[in-house]
Amino acid sequence: MPLGESVLVVGAGVAGLACARALSAAGASVSVIDRARGVGGRCATRRVEGQPVDLGVAFLHGRDPDFLAALESVPATPLPGWPQEVHGTGRPCQPEAFRPGEGRRAYVEGVNAFPRWLARGIGVRLGARVERLELSDRLPRAVLEGGEAIEAETLVLALAPEQSGRLLASAPAAPSPVATARALLGMAASEPSLSLAALYPSSADGPRWQVCYPSESTVLQLASHDSTKRRAPRFLAMVFQAHPRWSRAHADRPEWPDLLLAEAARLLGAWAAAPLHRHPHRWRFARTDRSGEMASPLLVRLPGGGRLGLCGDRFAPGGGVEAAWLSGRALAGRILAEEGA
Amino acid sequence: MRQDGDALDELVARDRDHECEGYGSSQVCVRAVAVADLPTRFGAFRLVGFWNNRDSKEHVAMVHGAVVGEEDVPVRLHSECLTGDVMGSLRCDCRDQLTEALRTIARGPRGVLLYLRQEGRGIGLLNKIRAYALQEQGLDTVEANRALGFRDDERDYAVAAHMLKTLGIRSVRLITNNPDKIRQLTQHGVVVAGRIPHVIPPNEFNRFYLETKARRSGHMIDLTEKRLAEQSDPVVVEGMETP
Repeated sequence: MPLGESVLVVGAGVAGLACARALSAAGASVSVIDRARGVGGRCATRRVEGQPVDLGVAFLHGRDPDFLAALESVPATPLPGWPQEVHGTGRPCQPEAFRPGEGRRAYVEGVNAFPRWLARGIGVRLGARVERLELSDRLPRAVLEGGEAIEAETLVLALAPEQSGRLLASAPAAPSPVATARALLGMAASEPSLSLAALYPSSADGPRWQVCYPSESTVLQLASHDSTKRRAPRFLAMVFQAHPRWSRAHADRPEWPDLLLAEAARLLGAWAAAPLHRHPHRWRFARTDRSGEMASPLLVRLPGGGRLGLCGDRFAPGGGVEAAWLSGRALAGRILAEEGA
Repeated sequence: MRQDGDALDELVARDRDHECEGYGSSQVCVRAVAVADLPTRFGAFRLVGFWNNRDSKEHVAMVHGAVVGEEDVPVRLHSECLTGDVMGSLRCDCRDQLTEALRTIARGPRGVLLYLRQEGRGIGLLNKIRAYALQEQGLDTVEANRALGFRDDERDYAVAAHMLKTLGIRSVRLITNNPDKIRQLTQHGVVVAGRIPHVIPPNEFNRFYLETKARRSGHMIDLTEKRLAEQSDPVVVEGMETP
């Protein structure tokens, strides 16, 4: 007999956690699972040589009043307005981050403070990878690696579109609403980003800016002066993130961190070529292509009586952490509205 | 024939420094920024172009006769539909709805058509093409249409209401078959003094609706399951029972 849940959320990124948080606040029984060792997904902070480094999202931004209030409520040391010093005329990963009226911030503890705060009091099971789904004639089930099955009245996939699509494809004899969901997921692709944290001596002649979008590079999309977010950092820390196209072409070449550093040295100065420590990360689904953006999350009824929900940064206008949060909360609202009806 | 020209020009001069808190939860603020004559095959109109603070869309009003400061002005809200309005698509009835509304307005002494630039009622032409592609695959599109943005947006009505207020229209007679449209506009402070049924003459292209009507009871035909309800207005063709 599988373990029963009212709502099972697959994916402990900001979208999944926002959904779980809103459901749990309304009294629903909800649990979250994620294959990673920590919550937050791309809103990731890693300790490199003991120093926090934001490896994915470099800072948080948005304009929705509720989202900004949620950022405000995080019990961490805020860096309001970060980054103030932006260099370069290249295209930011999210150009709307710098529109007038957009609120920006980071945290001294790292951007991961936000998802960790969202996850408080919620049952999150980490290190659990969903292998396949069963969606046919009874309540939906997520089958984990190792064979354990979790059944829920509502199954929420809060993953990158490719990952959700792969799981939906794994369900044998999936009913027609699932085919629609798969078709929607298949309409646009995520963009990868190769990301490298590089630690230098604190005496290094680092840049004066906090974030740079170089216009003269087809390799480097973003250089983030990460240690300007920390109190008394031991190292000068930089995070280099590559353009999607370059990332796609170099993801399987083991020397990509060296190539990325060589480009950083060309743009920033010779000091950048040889860090003391480095931590590479491949974001296979770093962000969604804006042309595939949708207006709302998806909630479909399954013939076995259960429901399947899809949310994520692609399922609300604007993209990014704000869209992820809004889509998760909107999906929770729809699940609750259907239960009340 | 020159109608209301000076009054509309004065609106543009007045709005040059206009700033406001906005309408509705999305706090839409609009300004009338340009006015010109627009002779059309349906009759004489003045075209008023608006700026707003919420989207980067350039919404316009087609104004017939003197409307500034008037009551009981016939008003039609039309959402942009490139495939229907311009390309003559038969996947929707937007072009029929547009031309019939303009004819109705031009027949009377005054009236306004608000042409709202929200292609596909949501986030654009690309998603509309995607929705059509899903239909071709025979997929259930009700939920998909929602995700792709084909639904009434509170913001649409906030923009429309503010445009009517900017034009100084004191009350409207809405050309619509959709009671919800009246309710939404009323919520945004527009005085809806009456309704003019929106009835389209039958032709070889919209015979479909009449045939559908024969198969189903009731005159308010819900086509949303099969088609995109791009004008948020149920279709009424002459020969159906008028709502």
